[in-house]
Amino acid sequence: MAFSLTVSNYQFFHRDTRPAYWLVQGAAWSAYGTVNAVAAALVVHLPWQRAAVEMAFFSSLGLVLSHTLRLFMRHRAWQGLPLSARIPRILVASFLVGALAALLTRFLGFAAWRSEELAIGWSGLQPLVSFLVQLLNWMLLFLVWSAFYFSALAIRHRQLAELHEAELARALQASELRLLKSQLNPHFLFNALNTVRALIADEPARAQRAVTQLARLLRYTLGAGQDDLVTLKQELAIVEDYLGIEALRLGERLGIERDIAPQALDMRIPVMLLQTLVENAIKHGIAELPPGGVLRIYAGLVQGTLVLEVENPRPEHVVPAAQEGIGISNARTRLLLLVGPRATLDLDLSNPRRALARVRLSPTV
Amino acid sequence: MKAVIIDDEALARRELRRLLAEFSWLEVLGEAANIDEAAVTIEALSPDLIFLDIQMPGGSGFDLLARLDRVPNVIFTTAYDQHAVRAFEVNALDYLLKPIEPERLAAALQRVNNAVALPMPQRQVLEQMFVRDGARYWFIPLREVRLLSAENNYVRLWWRKMQPLVARPLSAIEQRLEPKCFFRANRSEIINLEFIENVHLGINGGLQVQLRGGPEVEISRRQARLFREQTSI
Repeated sequence: MAFSLTVSNYQFFHRDTRPAYWLVQGAAWSAYGTVNAVAAALVVHLPWQRAAVEMAFFSSLGLVLSHTLRLFMRHRAWQGLPLSARIPRILVASFLVGALAALLTRFLGFAAWRSEELAIGWSGLQPLVSFLVQLLNWMLLFLVWSAFYFSALAIRHRQLAELHEAELARALQASELRLLKSQLNPHFLFNALNTVRALIADEPARAQRAVTQLARLLRYTLGAGQDDLVTLKQELAIVEDYLGIEALRLGERLGIERDIAPQALDMRIPVMLLQTLVENAIKHGIAELPPGGVLRIYAGLVQGTLVLEVENPRPEHVVPAAQEGIGISNARTRLLLLVGPRATLDLDLSNPRRALARVRLSPTV
Repeated sequence: MKAVIIDDEALARRELRRLLAEFSWLEVLGEAANIDEAAVTIEALSPDLIFLDIQMPGGSGFDLLARLDRVPNVIFTTAYDQHAVRAFEVNALDYLLKPIEPERLAAALQRVNNAVALPMPQRQVLEQMFVRDGARYWFIPLREVRLLSAENNYVRLWWRKMQPLVARPLSAIEQRLEPKCFFRANRSEIINLEFIENVHLGINGGLQVQLRGGPEVEISRRQARLFREQTSI
């Protein structure tokens, strides 16, 4: 699951948007240049040849400058800035690029036509006004361009986020389904029922308690999809119900050591996380050993980080990879999806006779 | 009939014992909680029937059967491994799902009773081996094996269309074979006389025996004389 998530996101994030960008750029600037040239030819009655040259010049200049502006904005990561910081920057940048465009236009001798041909006679001030009109014209152009650019970016980001979210939801749902499958482990369930039936005749009180525990465990497991995070205290209660049933089945073979720091009890963890680790420890560890063994559960806070440990003896002949089964990888996926990178889950099998699963949950930053 | 219960859970054993109390003709001689205990118990008590859980610490019920020299009748008891029991290609005995239903138990016991009550010649069919070949399991009645051939420390059983390997020396299996049925053809092969199709002279004074369903086996010169005496050819 985690793998497919990564792969598809990779493809999405790295989808090539360059062709679309250049197509829009080319089309927009060509259109702008054409409109300008047609206007010059029709309104100002400029010769067609000159209008064509002007069109080419305006389009090219706009294209080159806007692309340079884009490179600069990308380099400075403006798309990540809040609007209040981004808008002044865009204004300044548009002004500067507009000024540059106006200067280039002036020195290359293209800008004169408006004032000269329109023959607005403001005598002495005339070149300066003409320059300023040019600057304003270009600046507006780049402002509009930036608005389009960031809108397009925002839309793309939104689509991406939606897709990411949909994918997350799908992954969660899938892992929830698999979780249910592994938790309502039919082997455990039917064995538990058999145990209860064995108790009914001779020890009705224990049978009643076992039924209650089993009911609570089932209810918790079936409702596990509703709350993604629970307090350690809630999770521990259900682990105790589970261990109560396993203790009936395993008898003296199951020893339990608990070391739970009271201040850790209110920390929130993904639902069924500890339960999965404990079930794993019994299934692959203690239940596999003829004399059984001691299960150790530890929970503590180390500098604000919640540390959970489940340790169990295991049969020596089992190859190390065997215990890292569906249960652990499932728990890890859920942990990643629900809590993100501030949580880790490791299975330490360096000791051939013991397995130690450790979860670390650092506090939200 | 004598029975042994093998299950790692004390309460599961207690429950089965309680259910079996209904059947006065069945006597539960003992219990075992893992396959090591079970192997010793079965060796000591030689029960006619074992109730066998599949998932147990230290080794599965199948591991136990593969270890036994003489395999009694087996009824598997399992919470959820019926698919594992169905892995048997042929000769699957019964299995019961836990919690065990009394009616199903009665039917399974009836079947075992019928099998045990068969007249002697057919009862020999019950002299069986549990054989595991990859992911497949068989109870193989030795009477139906036409050829046993030694391959290093293994013995290959030629049985129907299958030729599974058993991790035992040929001599150990030979002791359990009915001497009237089986004949040591040479150093490494034992043939089932009932499967002989034809015999003709081979080189070096030996005999060539063609078995029904193959293959052809050579009887060594030394054994050929014995073979002629025994089969009066």
